[in-house]
Amino acid sequence: MNWLTQTLGSAIGKKLLMAITGLSFIGFLAAHLAGNLTIYGGKDAFNSYAEHLHALGPLLTVAELGLLTFALIHVLTGALLFYQNWRARPTRYAVDRSSGGRSIGSRTMPYTGVIILAFVIFHLINFSFVDKRHITIFELVASAFQNPLYVVAYVAAMVVVALHVSHGFWSLFQTLGANHPKYMPAITIIGLGLSLVFAIGFGFIPVYILFIA
Amino acid sequence: MTKTINITLKIWRQKGPEAKGRLETANAANISTDMSFLEMLDVVNEKLTVDGKEPIAFESDCREGICGSCGCVVNGEAHGPEKGTSLCQLHMRHFNDGDTIVIEPWRARAFPIIKDLIVDRAALDDLIRAGGYISVNTGSAPDANTLPVPQRDAELAFDAAACIGCGACIAACPNASAMLFVGAKVSHMALLPQGRPEAAKRALSMVGKMDDLAFGNCSNHKECEAVCPKEISITNIARLNREYIKAGFGSAEK
Amino acid sequence: MSLNANIPLGPLTDKWDQHRFKLKLVNPANKRKYDILVVGTGLAGASAAASLAELGYNVKAFTYHDSPRRAHSIAAQGGINAAKNYTNEGDSIWRLFYDTIKGGDFRSREANVYRLAQVSNNIIDQCTAQGVPFAREYGGLLANRSFGGAQVSRTFYARGQTGQQLLIGAYSAMMRQVALGKVELLTRREMLDVVVSNGRAQGIVVRNMVTGELETYAGHAVLLCTGGYGNVFYLSTNAMNCNVTATYRAYRRGAYFANPCFTQIHPTCIPVHGTYQSKLTLMSESLRNDGRVWVPKQAGDKRAPSEIPESERDYYLERKYPSFGNLVPRDVASRNAKEQCDMGKGVGETGLAVYLDFRDAIQRDGRDTIEKKYGNLFQMYEKITADNPYEMPMMIYPAVHYTMGGLWVDYNLMSSVDGLFVLGEANFSDHGANRLGASALMQGLADGYFVIPYTIGGYLNTVSWDPVTAEGPAFSQTVKEVDEKIQRLLSVNGTRTVDDFHRELGLIMWDYCGMSRKDEGLEKARGMIQDLREEFWNDVRVPGADRDLNQSLEKAGRVADFLEFSELMIIDALQRRESCGGHFNEGFQTEENEALRDDENFSHVAAWEFAGDGAEPVFHKEPLVFENVELATRSYK
Repeated sequence: MNWLTQTLGSAIGKKLLMAITGLSFIGFLAAHLAGNLTIYGGKDAFNSYAEHLHALGPLLTVAELGLLTFALIHVLTGALLFYQNWRARPTRYAVDRSSGGRSIGSRTMPYTGVIILAFVIFHLINFSFVDKRHITIFELVASAFQNPLYVVAYVAAMVVVALHVSHGFWSLFQTLGANHPKYMPAITIIGLGLSLVFAIGFGFIPVYILFIA
Repeated sequence: MTKTINITLKIWRQKGPEAKGRLETANAANISTDMSFLEMLDVVNEKLTVDGKEPIAFESDCREGICGSCGCVVNGEAHGPEKGTSLCQLHMRHFNDGDTIVIEPWRARAFPIIKDLIVDRAALDDLIRAGGYISVNTGSAPDANTLPVPQRDAELAFDAAACIGCGACIAACPNASAMLFVGAKVSHMALLPQGRPEAAKRALSMVGKMDDLAFGNCSNHKECEAVCPKEISITNIARLNREYIKAGFGSAEK
Repeated sequence: MSLNANIPLGPLTDKWDQHRFKLKLVNPANKRKYDILVVGTGLAGASAAASLAELGYNVKAFTYHDSPRRAHSIAAQGGINAAKNYTNEGDSIWRLFYDTIKGGDFRSREANVYRLAQVSNNIIDQCTAQGVPFAREYGGLLANRSFGGAQVSRTFYARGQTGQQLLIGAYSAMMRQVALGKVELLTRREMLDVVVSNGRAQGIVVRNMVTGELETYAGHAVLLCTGGYGNVFYLSTNAMNCNVTATYRAYRRGAYFANPCFTQIHPTCIPVHGTYQSKLTLMSESLRNDGRVWVPKQAGDKRAPSEIPESERDYYLERKYPSFGNLVPRDVASRNAKEQCDMGKGVGETGLAVYLDFRDAIQRDGRDTIEKKYGNLFQMYEKITADNPYEMPMMIYPAVHYTMGGLWVDYNLMSSVDGLFVLGEANFSDHGANRLGASALMQGLADGYFVIPYTIGGYLNTVSWDPVTAEGPAFSQTVKEVDEKIQRLLSVNGTRTVDDFHRELGLIMWDYCGMSRKDEGLEKARGMIQDLREEFWNDVRVPGADRDLNQSLEKAGRVADFLEFSELMIIDALQRRESCGGHFNEGFQTEENEALRDDENFSHVAAWEFAGDGAEPVFHKEPLVFENVELATRSYK
């Protein structure tokens, strides 16, 4: 299996790990968002979605473990890449100006990544690692978002996620080698669209609960 | 129209690889706007020499944008502000009277500074040595027309092969990655039928060498493409990725 | 020593085959016992290093660049000729041979040129197999274009960057041998002398340009692939670092210098625009296919080109050479531009330019067509001059481009010093008095890929394969002399910079030994050069230290050699009492101001032997024998 570690450990291999795990997170986000949208159906719809999800039982655990593994890979590889990239230029430029390649998303990738990690932990503590025997998920969410600070934190986090995805989405296709003159423009647009969908889709929920529901 | 301007330069001076360098100020007075950037540096050097100082060491040779010898970071941009232009083809008419220009050498762990603005780019030769060739001994080639190459493939191969090996892509990459350089070479040869027999070996070996040489990793910032004097596209990096994935997982090559 | 070119006997078409058969082979097991030093890694050097290493020889390759890929072969734009006859126009080895001999104004060796044409086809095959992305037709086969006034399309090209692609091919072939351990690559090394003892080249002295140390290397044979000397004119289309030092140092060690006065002036370059200018940029000759060359009829007419009506324009090439028009060969086009400017009809700020106008072509074919053909060239022109050639005519002027002269070599490419071989532009061998377009690349690669691998074996069979070391009195003496020169340069500590001297020398050469020459001018220039040389050694200022990266010192050594070599060019120009190709002496011209050859007395190669500082060089004559072509007067009327 030496060839495998060698391939995955190379500059391209590490990016490949980032791309594949990243893609799975985007899939996860899409599924998560689809589930979350049931909140607009009201309390019962949302609770029933949660129940259905938990009824999956071991399947859910497998998925969660999978996500956890992927998250570890994504975070650790990302950290390694960040360190190596930082090391690759021991002396920085006195003047550092973009010639037009970098975007806000690409520039901030490692930093938005760290914020997202922090947010995920915060989010899990809020909604996942809580005793849910005496409270429905809707009540949990509704009560959390009564606090405007939570709303601000969540909305901000979603903007950060959007930034991360805005670069991550097209970039993962590029890393997978899927850069084609016919399809790349569409992929770029879809990436930007997706980040908007995530930002608005997720970000509006706390606002909706605070002001409307 | 020709006019003359006065410029203040802040130039990186460093006596040797181990010495500590710093930005020093020099004045470039009465510079014709028809001058090239390097001719402006020539004028500054003539003055320094006559004044009994040591001129600024910088590399250049063909001064027509093809040999790849020249290159500095000008006000934070590799080869300066003009798109698709190497430093020797940058003209002073793109600057204004009274401007301050900061000139720094390429900076990357893989490109140690030798003196002033001159860096050691031997790592690029090391990369080519790792597989940037097609193994064909002199004399063993078949007639050139026995192997047709679709015109489009030949054109794409040329686009990649146009690389002048200046190192600007590495200098401009926030991660000092050599992916555009390696991507261009791997693409040039992968696109041609002549290069296919060694494609897998080449991709694995050149990428392995790239890691050994302490280049950074690609984060798809696209700065390389933006500064490349030959405007080589990052589609070549995607092709390298494909070739590498195929080689790593699909071929028997190790 | 007699000048024996070692041309094989027999019919022209069989000479090369017969010769290869007669050359003794080196046993493959013995090849690894021979060390070969290759100086320069352009087309000739890189191809030679790669091919010799493939055969099993141990090669050391030296370049003063940071990478072999920077050699100036890279800047060649147009293409490379070969007698493939892919276009079915009736081309053949014989036709390519004849065109090249005629283009060289009948001042080159038949046998060499024929061999060049013979191997031209192998070059294309080799380069294609290496992955050179030549232009192709829709069907996937190789495309050709016509070039340099040839009547057949035999030029293979890779957009306007053919030299770059061919060099990368040769460079990558060499890097493969570096990876295999057969070539040791020594970059940032400048050769400063050849070590000769017992009449044989034993090795070289190089300066490590990073540390400044002098290093010595020994070899069983030394190959000089160090390019031409066009930078003796200061301004030329050559790269900044091109110089004569390697070949001139070899000359001082006994290698004869042949035809140094044969220099090629290329007609379509961007004109000089200021004293600060460091080099000239060539615009591809292909522009003359559609552009019309003109000047105002009235001398001193300073109106903008658009304000000069048709009736007041002189399309002088079309007027004087109705059948070839704007497509006359390089030397003719260049001389005529100079003539117009000398009459005060030159245009632009300096008056040293003529128009190359695309107005009519754009009107005829449409802007799109012209853009497709020349878009990148127009862009390059605009980048440099800030003028838009779609709207206003280009301004062009001739510039020094190539040097046909070089170290004298025999048919085996060996100089008059045993074991010292010379390849590519550095030798004099194949282009006579004028080189045709798209044949420099051909010659460099022919020498490296297909000539030297065989001929060097013939020589090595005559020397022992005992290991050689860079020791002994010859090496230490040569190093001492090199070091003394460096110390002398550093100790003058005068007031003028090296570039300042170089610029002045360039002007002298351009004015008196350039496109057109006169006896009085040449004599005058000789004196001026001697004075300038003396001033140089009394007043040059070379800052910095010897054991350091010191670009001023590098330049100073080269200019010091140019200051001596330029005089040899003048001596050679004075000796040649005729006009031919790149050498136009105003005293020898027809009534219509065309070059007047003297085949009876000057159908020879002039090879000069160094006779010591201050002594007149010794003239050796190699008569040129034409058995297969009839000497004709070139006419383009």
